[in-house]
Amino acid sequence: MRRAIVSAIAVVICAACATTTPAPKAAPAFSVPLEYHTLPNGLRVVLWRDQTSPRVTVAVYYGVGFRVEPKNRTGFAHLFEHLMFQGSHNLGKGEFMKLVRLNGGVAGGSTAFDFTHYHEIVPSNMLRTILWAEADRMKGLDITEDALTSQKGVVSNEIRVNVLNRAYGGFPWLDMPQAANVNWYNAHNFYGDFADLEAASLEDVHKFFKTYYAPNNASLAIVGDFDPAQTMSWVNQYFGVIPPQPQPPRADVSEPRQEQERRRSKIDDKATRPAIAIAYHAPEPESDAYYALALINQILAAGKDSWLYEDIVRKRGLTAGIDATMNSYGTMFDIKGPTLYTISLFHDANRSPEEILTAIDQNIERLRTQPVDAATLDRARVKMRSMFYNDLDADYGFGRANLLEAFALFYDDPSRINRVESRFAAVTPELIRKTAEEYLRPSNRTILTIVPGRK
Amino acid sequence: MRRLPMMVALYATAALAQAVPKETPPTPGPPTNFSLPEIRRFALPNGMRVRLMQYGNTPKVAIRLVTQTGNIDESADRVWLANLTGDMMQQGTTTRSAEEIARQAALMGGTLSVNAGMNETWIGTDVFTESATNAVALIADVARNPRFPESEMARIKTDALRKLSFESSDPQSLTDAKLRQVFYPNQPYGRPFPTPEMLQGYTLDQIRQFHDRNFGAARSRLYVVGRFDQAAIESAIRREFAGWKAGPPPAVPVVSPASRPGVYLIDRPGAVQSTMLIALPVIGVVPGSPDYRPLVVANAVLGGSFMSRITSILREQKGYAYSPVSYVQMMLGTGYWAEDADVTTNVTGASIRVVIDEIDTLRAQPITADELRGFQNFLAGIFVLFNSSRDSITVQLSSLDLYGLGADYLRDYVKSIYAVTPADLQRVMQKYIDPARLAIVVVGDKKAIAEQLKPFGTIVE
Repeated sequence: MRRAIVSAIAVVICAACATTTPAPKAAPAFSVPLEYHTLPNGLRVVLWRDQTSPRVTVAVYYGVGFRVEPKNRTGFAHLFEHLMFQGSHNLGKGEFMKLVRLNGGVAGGSTAFDFTHYHEIVPSNMLRTILWAEADRMKGLDITEDALTSQKGVVSNEIRVNVLNRAYGGFPWLDMPQAANVNWYNAHNFYGDFADLEAASLEDVHKFFKTYYAPNNASLAIVGDFDPAQTMSWVNQYFGVIPPQPQPPRADVSEPRQEQERRRSKIDDKATRPAIAIAYHAPEPESDAYYALALINQILAAGKDSWLYEDIVRKRGLTAGIDATMNSYGTMFDIKGPTLYTISLFHDANRSPEEILTAIDQNIERLRTQPVDAATLDRARVKMRSMFYNDLDADYGFGRANLLEAFALFYDDPSRINRVESRFAAVTPELIRKTAEEYLRPSNRTILTIVPGRK
Repeated sequence: MRRLPMMVALYATAALAQAVPKETPPTPGPPTNFSLPEIRRFALPNGMRVRLMQYGNTPKVAIRLVTQTGNIDESADRVWLANLTGDMMQQGTTTRSAEEIARQAALMGGTLSVNAGMNETWIGTDVFTESATNAVALIADVARNPRFPESEMARIKTDALRKLSFESSDPQSLTDAKLRQVFYPNQPYGRPFPTPEMLQGYTLDQIRQFHDRNFGAARSRLYVVGRFDQAAIESAIRREFAGWKAGPPPAVPVVSPASRPGVYLIDRPGAVQSTMLIALPVIGVVPGSPDYRPLVVANAVLGGSFMSRITSILREQKGYAYSPVSYVQMMLGTGYWAEDADVTTNVTGASIRVVIDEIDTLRAQPITADELRGFQNFLAGIFVLFNSSRDSITVQLSSLDLYGLGADYLRDYVKSIYAVTPADLQRVMQKYIDPARLAIVVVGDKKAIAEQLKPFGTIVE
C-alpha cells in the first residue's frame, strides 16, 4: 500500500505585501505526445515516448481498489496486491520480481481507493519481456497455500510497522476516512482487521482475480524509450488473447451531503504530543469546484507562503508545520470516488484543539466571504503548475504513467493530462469563494484529535 | 462493461491454452548504452565549485548550494546547533523577510529550504526554467546574508524541542541513535540527540558564530541540474557568489569507530515488533577505495535488495517482516554496514539467527557467477535510475565531490560493478562482515524478547 501523503510543504502569505521579484514569463503550454488504443478485449493502452534515458516504465492499473473489497474481507484488495507477485502459470513464486530485478529494473505495486496498480521501470531492452510477464499474470495466478500464508505474515508486519508499533500510526490517512465517511465502502479499515486477513482463502483469491483482474477492467501505460509500432504489436500479441470478464454492477460509493460537524478522538499511548486533523468532503474529482479546491489548498495550506503557515506556524507558533491533502493515497488526479480534503498538524499539550481550530477557521472564513485578489490566485496557479510537473516527474517516470492510467481508467480519456493547466486557468475568484463557502463549511467537516495517554 | 457479450466466445480458445506447458519469458533485446549528460565544472576565484548539467525535458531546474558543514562541526555541548542555524537562516536576510523569501520562491515554482545534515548543509529549491537566475540570487542571499532575527528564536527552539520529543520516542530513530553512540563514542557522529536543556540554552550569538565560522565559498559547491539557459546561469552565479568570503577550507574529520559487539536493548513495553539494527563498522573502506564496490555488491546479495538472501527469507519465505533491508552507510571518514528490520516480537531471535546464518554462508561459500550476474544487473539498472531525476543526479554529483572522486567514477561505475568476481565478494565478506563483531541494537518489549536475545551476546541496556 502506498501511503503517499502529499505533504504540504510549508507556508505563508501576505497578500498585501509587495514582492520584489517579477512574476515569471508565461511558460509554453504543456503537452504530452500520447497515443491511445483500446484492444478488442477492452484493455486501454496509453503510450508516451520520451527518450531522455534508455528506460521504460510499464504500469498496469486494475479498476478495483480497497473501497469495494468484499465486506467480510477488509484489507483484501491490498493483500491481493501482494499475491500478484506470488506466482502465475509460467512464473513461480517470486520469479516475477526476480525477472525484473535481476535484469536491472525495479517493480512495485500499490492499492488505493479506486484502483490497484503494478509497475516496472526497466532498461528499455527489457520491454518485451516485461510486457509478456504482465500479460502472463493477467492471464492467471497460481498461488499456493504457503504463499498466501507468508503474505498474510508480511501484510500483518506492514500494518504493525506503519500503524500499530508507532506513534500516530494511521493518523490521519487510515483513521480519517473511517471517521468522516458514512458509506461502508469509504469508511472501513482499508488495511484490514487481522481476523479478516486471517480468514482470506485461496477461493477468495480466485474469485477476486476472475472478477476484477480482467483486461476490460484495466489500463496499461508505457512511458519512456521505445518504438511505438513494435510495442503495440507486442501488446496485441501478449494481452490481446486475454478474455474479458463480465463486470459486476458498480457499487454505490456515494457519500450523502454532510449536514453536521462530526468529532472523533483517539487515545494514542505512543504519542508524545496531541494532534488534530480536519477533513472536509471534497467536490467530485474532475469537477470545476475540485480544481478550485486544489487552488484553495495552495492559498490556504500548501507551502511556506500559505495563509495557515504564516498565521499558525510563523505568527502564533502553534506547530512546526501543516500537512494538507486532497487524497491521502496519491495525487489529486488518481482518485475517482468521494475524497476528503484533510488538514492536519501536531501541537503542544498546553494549547487546546479549540484554539487551533479557531485560528484555522479565521483563515477559512476569509476564503468563504471575500474573493481572493489576483496576485494571490496567480501565485496559487504557479504553485499548482509546479506541483503538477512534480507529480509527473515523481518516482523516476512512474508519475507520468500514473496520471495517464488514472485518466484512461476513470474517464477513458488520457488526453485530459494536456488540459490540466487550462482547468486551473479557468478558475475564477468567485468560484474559489463559492467552493470555499459550500465545501469548507463547518457542517461539512470531521475533526479528529489524537490524545496522548493510556488506552 | 465494454463490448463484452460478443467477445466471450472469441476468447474461449485462449482459456484452453492454460493447459499447455509453461512458456519462458522472451529474451531481452540487446542493452542500450547509458551515458550521463556532460557536466560543466568550474570554480570561482574564491574557491566555490560549480557543476551544471542539462537534464530531462520538464521545464524545471534544481539548484542546490551544498556547504560542507553540519553536525560534524558541533562540540559536545552544542548538539543540533547546525540544525538550528539552518532553521534560523530561513527566517529572513538583511534585505528580505522570511515571508518575502517564501513568496518569491513560490512565484518561481519552488520552496526554499535549508537542511543541515551530518557532513553537509543544503540550501536549495527546484523552480521553473525561466526563474533559474532569480533562484540563484535568492539562494545566495540566504547563504550569505542571514538576518537571524531574535524574534524568531524562541519559536525555532520550540520546533527543535518538538522534533526531539518525537524522535526520542520513535523506535527507528532510537535504534539509529543507539548505534551511532555505540560506534562513535565521544565524537560528533556519536551524538545523535541534544538534551532539552542544551537546546533551550542556545543563543543568537552562538548561531551567528556557527554561521560565520562554517559557511563560505571554499566549503561550498553549487549544483544546477535540469533545463536552464547556461550562459545566463553562469553569469548569475558569478554575480551572486563572486563576492562571498572564502571562509574556512573543508575540514576532514578524524573519526575512530569502535567495534563493540553485543546486544543493546532499549525496552519498549508492549511493542508488537522488535525494531533492529544488526551492524558493524567497516573499517578502512571509503567510496573510491578498491574494496568499496565489492562491498556494495556483497551487500546487494546479502540484504540490500528485494531479491537478496536475507530479504527472501525474512520476508518472502517466513513473513517475519515487511521491509527488511541492509545497507552500507558512508559518512566522511567512516562507514558501517547494517541490516535494518522490524520483525514480529515472537520471532526476534529467529530473525537475528537468519541474518547471522546468511552472513556465515556468504563468507563460507563463494557465490556462483550466475547469481552474482543478476545482482550486478540490478546494481547497473539502479545506477541508471539514480541518474534519472534532477534531485538524484544532484545527490550523486555531490557525493563525488564530498568524497573527492573524479567524474570517471560515475563513468566507470557500471563497468566496475561487473568487474567484481565471486572471489572478491567472498574476500570482502570475510574481511569486513565478521559476525563476531556485530552490534545488535533492539528496541522492543524486553519481557517478551530478553530470552530470545540471550544467545547473541551480553545484553546491555
